[in-house]
Amino acid sequence: MILLWLLIVPLIAGPLAFFLRRRLMMEVVNLAAFAILLGLAAALVAQVLRSDSVSLWNGFFYADALSALVVLLSAFVALVCSIYAVGYFRHEERSGVLQEAEEVGGRFGVHKLREYYTLTPLFVFSMILVALANNLGILWVAIEGTTLASVFLVMFYGRETSLEAAWKYAIIGGVGLSMALFGTILTYYSAYGALGTDTLAGLNWSVLAGNAAHFDKPTMRLAFILILLGYGTKAGIAPMHTWKPDAYSEAPIPGAAMLATGVLNCALYGLVRFYILSSKCLGPQFSSHLLIIFGLLSIGVAVPFILVQKNFRRLLAYSSIDHSGIMVLALGFGGPLGILGMLLHMTFHSVTKPLLFFCAGNVQQHLKTDLFQKAKGGLIHSMPLTGAAFLMVTLAVTGSPPFSFFQSEFTILRAAFSGGYFVLAFFFVSFLVLIFSGFLVHIANLVLGEDPGLPRAEMCGWKKYSVVGLAVVIVVMGFWIPAPLFGLIQSAVGIVVGG
Amino acid sequence: MPFVPNPELGNRIITLMAALVLVLQIAAVGQRWIVSSIRIFAVQSFLLGAIAAVIAYFNHASHIYIAALLTVFLKAGLLPRLLERLVEKIGIRREIEPLINVPLSILIAGGLTLLGYVVAESFYRPEETSARAALGHNTLAVAIALFLIGFFAMVNRRKALTQVLGLLSLENGLFLAAISLTYGVPLVVELGILFDVLVAVMVLGILVFRIRETFDSMDVSKLRKLRE
Repeated sequence: MILLWLLIVPLIAGPLAFFLRRRLMMEVVNLAAFAILLGLAAALVAQVLRSDSVSLWNGFFYADALSALVVLLSAFVALVCSIYAVGYFRHEERSGVLQEAEEVGGRFGVHKLREYYTLTPLFVFSMILVALANNLGILWVAIEGTTLASVFLVMFYGRETSLEAAWKYAIIGGVGLSMALFGTILTYYSAYGALGTDTLAGLNWSVLAGNAAHFDKPTMRLAFILILLGYGTKAGIAPMHTWKPDAYSEAPIPGAAMLATGVLNCALYGLVRFYILSSKCLGPQFSSHLLIIFGLLSIGVAVPFILVQKNFRRLLAYSSIDHSGIMVLALGFGGPLGILGMLLHMTFHSVTKPLLFFCAGNVQQHLKTDLFQKAKGGLIHSMPLTGAAFLMVTLAVTGSPPFSFFQSEFTILRAAFSGGYFVLAFFFVSFLVLIFSGFLVHIANLVLGEDPGLPRAEMCGWKKYSVVGLAVVIVVMGFWIPAPLFGLIQSAVGIVVGG
Repeated sequence: MPFVPNPELGNRIITLMAALVLVLQIAAVGQRWIVSSIRIFAVQSFLLGAIAAVIAYFNHASHIYIAALLTVFLKAGLLPRLLERLVEKIGIRREIEPLINVPLSILIAGGLTLLGYVVAESFYRPEETSARAALGHNTLAVAIALFLIGFFAMVNRRKALTQVLGLLSLENGLFLAAISLTYGVPLVVELGILFDVLVAVMVLGILVFRIRETFDSMDVSKLRKLRE
């Protein structure tokens, strides 16, 4: 039953916001829905930890530790973003940006806000459906659903650049996902001989996973390549990453943060499900090599763009390409260590990345620009809280020791050594060092330095507490992961490695 | 009815229609008028629905009838209607010159068809002499060719609307692959895919309209502000 509630809550909250007239009501509905969702996700985790898997409707919906982890992270990100969104959009409204956006789009009143508060729950609904769908076809439908719901977030401000970004996002995403659909169909075909059913269960992951050893091998090989290209496009892996910097820098901050964490998790989740099938059918070797190539390429591609970046919102997008590369690389290294590293990284990424976006959003709203050049540095004087948090989260995101990314990246490095990939480990570490230095120089120049005499930024409680709260969570997670969460991650590792 | 379905006959009908679908796809590559591209897409989708219905009839698989009906209704009826209304609204009828001229484009489309056959050959297992394996042999090649040519059309065309059409024909290729390889994906998945395609066309339609309004053009090569 809990699976159904997880889907119903956001599905009701979206259309409900559509019929509300006042901003306050929309905010209340949005916040309440996501708070309930996080509670339900925690309950699902508890249930999965007790009895390995939960299923509903004859296995149409199915949740094991891996899906519960993704549901938990999606719900967390949704709640945090919606708290920040309240402050963010109130500020946008005060400063007249929303009115401008409405004029460009030819609409008036609170329509823009209604668009946001209607679409984000639907967006979250698709993300939850990705994790809970047992059927790989429905999984595809849900991932496509996240794209469709988020295209409007990217074109939210209606500027020329927003339309361009949305067009790129929709078309590149559409082509990528059609490849993923082809891969799904081929997987079905390769299983057809082994299962011999054409009922609904023929595409159910829980059924496929048990019989994967008997699949038709050449078909599965092609299927995995197509899936990697398809869901890889959605995860923003190089060379299919080109939509990412545009989409992330045009969407409103809370939406961009959800794109960068929630959608990334969903795409990787799809990839992991097929990785399990392919390892069982073809042995881990085949998929490993492909994943390592694409993963390392993504990290490498991010390096020069981070070093010479002029725009801090695009910087965040390249950091996201870097992180999705790290996760794919970890999946490629495989073994219990590699998978543990990947899932830890996914968890930490979902907790840390939103704060990075919030800080960038605060800076952008204060300075009315997203270019380093116009920012002139010294932000710590006019916005002490955001400045300090920005520096801290930069250190965290680039993997400096007290913070949690250091643990996951170190685990991945250990996986590389235990797998005998010494040369690759060298490249991995040097890319990370380059990214660390580039990122830190940019943000330090922005935050530190002499006082340029800007007025002090006003921050409402919503923005302030979402920044402080997340910062506390990040610091705590550097030293302590709650035992149930770690247990969940470990049983998810068990599913991927041993099944 | 005393008529006994003969699988051999079914195969021939399907192969013939698949060939027609392929011919239409290549014709679409050489097409300049947007409205005729839309109509070609409609006819192609209708043929795909017909192929699905023939497969359903000869294999007594009643759930495919629903997929066939939905395909005809949505992709041959509703979507072309929506797209034509969009064309009327934005008042652009002719495609500007594609990046590669028409004769060469058609030649490339022919080459891609050949590639489709080469790829499909690797799936063909002659030891399996069942009707389905034989059916898959030809239609899979056509499906892969449709996919590749649709991809090529998207790269080659600069109008936003023709890119959408390319994406749709690419999806048609996937439908053909699914229907010929595995007699279609499970119905609920098929419903989900059709729903997604419908919503995607609406989303892209709104986007095309907004691009046309803002840039006063539908030429996506004008979308070039976002650069490093």
